[in-house]
Amino acid sequence: MHARIVTRSQLSIRCPAQSQYVAPVRHALAGFLQALDFERQPLEDITTAAGEALANIVEHAYARCRKTTERYLELTAKLDREGRLRVVVSDGGSFVERRKLPGRGFGLRIIRAIAARLTIDTSDGTRVRMIFDRGS
Amino acid sequence: MKKKEGIKIIRLGGELEIGRKDEIRDSLASSDDAAAVLLDLGEVTYADSIALTELLRFCADSARNQRPVALVIKTPQFARLVQYAGLATAFKIFGESSPALEYLTECTRES
Repeated sequence: MHARIVTRSQLSIRCPAQSQYVAPVRHALAGFLQALDFERQPLEDITTAAGEALANIVEHAYARCRKTTERYLELTAKLDREGRLRVVVSDGGSFVERRKLPGRGFGLRIIRAIAARLTIDTSDGTRVRMIFDRGS
Repeated sequence: MKKKEGIKIIRLGGELEIGRKDEIRDSLASSDDAAAVLLDLGEVTYADSIALTELLRFCADSARNQRPVALVIKTPQFARLVQYAGLATAFKIFGESSPALEYLTECTRES
């Protein structure tokens, strides 16, 4: 796992897209938010939303890719000038529009409930861009 | 058909997340012979939608088998996760074990 704090207000992590890496990445994000003095509830909510995006990569992103494809996940978090946190979770896989099944698909619903803004870019891999207000 | 007996208590703690999906599923599967199940999740420090999906599946299977299930959730993150997922009414949730056990005892007495 490759993690670095680029500046005091930016975190960047890249690691294999495997389930055992999701918790360490989430913990690193939590540590980053603690260093930025985020309060407990927004800290937990933001790491929850990021955790959902990360788990989604592990579960689905590379399901239809060739075995030779590098399977990675990436997380960047940055505090912007307005004090909002911008988190991008990305992969090099393929976005799969899944059938809505009962009892599935809570991840995006949870992210939407937490993030002030969510956009999903599937033009080259998948990029889940989330913006959080400091109090979210 | 074998008569189901007793309230089975299943305790799960720590982080219930994608890396523990199989463990969660196996733990829940160990309650087949119980008349009712108390899922004590009071020591859970974090949960994700993968864990929620496993819990939801278990509760749906239990409902089909007329086996009442109660969840004990104490962690604010977990409680909010259930709300964010829109599943507040999908589970019978308690903040402590005692009222959950009373509820299940009452359910098994009625059946």
